[in-house]
Amino acid sequence: MKSTTAEVDPGSYLLSRTVDGFGFAKQEQSNSTEALSKNRPVDDHPNDREQKRIRKWRKMIGVGGSDWKHYVRRKPHVVKRRIRKGIPDCLRGLIWQLISGSRDLLLMNPGVYEQLVIYETSASELEIIRDISRTFPSHVFYQQRHGLGQRSLYNVLKAYSVYDRDVGYVQGMGFLAGLLLLYMSEEDAFWLLVALLKGAIHAPMEGLYQAGLPLVQEYLCQFEQLVKEYLPMLGEHFTQEMVNPSMYASQWFITVFSYSFPFPLALRIWDVFLYEGVKVVFQVGLALLRFCHDDLIKLPFEKLLHALKNFPAEAMNPDKLLPLVFSIKVSKRLEEFKREYEKRKERPLPHSLPPLSSSGRLDVLMDAKPGDGSGSNYSNHESPLPYNVEEIRPHGGINRFRSAGYSNCARKPS
Amino acid sequence: MAAYRADEEYDYLFKVVLIGDAGVGKTNLLSRFARDEFSFETKSTIGVEFATRTIHVDGKLIKAQIWDTAGQDRYRAITSAYYRGSVGALVVFDLSRRVTFENTARWLQELRSHTDPNIVVMLVGNKADLRHIRAVSVEEAQAFARKEKAFFTETSALESINVADAFTGVLTQIYHVVGRKVLAIGDDPSALPIGQTINIDMKDDRQAANKAGCC
Repeated sequence: MKSTTAEVDPGSYLLSRTVDGFGFAKQEQSNSTEALSKNRPVDDHPNDREQKRIRKWRKMIGVGGSDWKHYVRRKPHVVKRRIRKGIPDCLRGLIWQLISGSRDLLLMNPGVYEQLVIYETSASELEIIRDISRTFPSHVFYQQRHGLGQRSLYNVLKAYSVYDRDVGYVQGMGFLAGLLLLYMSEEDAFWLLVALLKGAIHAPMEGLYQAGLPLVQEYLCQFEQLVKEYLPMLGEHFTQEMVNPSMYASQWFITVFSYSFPFPLALRIWDVFLYEGVKVVFQVGLALLRFCHDDLIKLPFEKLLHALKNFPAEAMNPDKLLPLVFSIKVSKRLEEFKREYEKRKERPLPHSLPPLSSSGRLDVLMDAKPGDGSGSNYSNHESPLPYNVEEIRPHGGINRFRSAGYSNCARKPS
Repeated sequence: MAAYRADEEYDYLFKVVLIGDAGVGKTNLLSRFARDEFSFETKSTIGVEFATRTIHVDGKLIKAQIWDTAGQDRYRAITSAYYRGSVGALVVFDLSRRVTFENTARWLQELRSHTDPNIVVMLVGNKADLRHIRAVSVEEAQAFARKEKAFFTETSALESINVADAFTGVLTQIYHVVGRKVLAIGDDPSALPIGQTINIDMKDDRQAANKAGCC
């Protein structure tokens, strides 16, 4: 399945004149990214500076990623700084897999993806099919009915819906998978999705998609609180106008800005998101509001909502927005919110795994035993990447991996 | 952005929700009504979207604030907050996919558990352009609507058939209901979106629109 990588290469479509440097049809306003796409590979002759940058990155990674962990352990701050400047597009797919922990999952679970795709059936198949053509419909890779892009997207989503039958398929996941598939093979994209949702490095995101969308509700609530604290005048204006974050920010969290943001910005956000965690979603949200603060504060309800879904191009320029993003410190406050939220909710631990069904079926489950100590340093999202995801295969058919990152709704090592 | 114009004038402001299974065409119905647009490249709606349009009924200006919702079951956790305070709803199904019609019973139930019993409901069979693969007959849909005390119409957002009528039908009916002051006005402070309060006695007062509950 990995062999599809070469065919999948979205770069081959770039010859077409009707798409922008990222493969989106040019006529579509929301993704018309040309003006902003200086970071993208259209340029066959990157300038010297860019080449120097790529060389630096290659050195950091080593052959096939062999030096990466060592480098990250030794110089985490250099890595963080470089990632914030943007990962070179030609290395993005590989780096994303390294920083998300998905590479390890892939290596530890040979054949699992194939099994999920070929031999398993999912209750969500029809739902997935229905949404396939509605995921990045203006992107050339996903436009052809039953084409490679659509098939890959279907396979990844179906595999995930089997892998985690509790979550299954939820609208929005397609945008995550769709984004990943532009940079890596199906199997790689699948494991990156697993790493994110199950929490290989950072807190798991599966709560964004579980019944009741608990993590969406939690994040929206926290975001509202942050707006009130960091931008009190705008917060007050929102209250006056009865605008709350569920009206404009659900998509930000559910798709990590991949749903409708200009691609150059979405990619730069994803670089940081995969390394530093979900806090960057809050930071970007706050930065956008701050960037447009003086306009937003004058707008009545309807215009306000419109503005919150249509930020001006200037605000969407990564080089303008990101410095502002990084200047907003939210980690500490988010930790406090989380503790308060947990205290209030007293939600059950994510222990209630579905019973294993009869032998023969492949259940891929996550070992959800928090607090075993091995991962106490995970709680700090800015710490070096630990990578001690491990695999236990007691019966040859059950793959588990453990991570200490699933702390969002339960006991946190403190 | 140029100077901010004050919101347009209107006599009444009604909040309406669009609900129904994923992929039945809610987003295109709304874009057809609000902006006379249709797109074959519509993305799945994540969360809620919002649009408005103002129409004339009996010489009055009626403004509709319409909330378009994600159709997948799991999104009800977010979208159901938008039912509250709605005075009208379009429950949409896809004429060519029978299961989406069958599911309207559940949508209606869900809707009624969150709204005033007098809410005006229009059952909408969309994608009427797909005549050759129709899976629900007019009679059947009509009978079901009658049983549910809902109005019924068939639309095609693609061919722009009946779309405006479906929305104006709901809005006109709400206007009549409001005119008779039958609608018990909910005052649920936990309701999320705006427009929860239709202030019948405060026409022309834009503030009325902005005095709804928040979370």
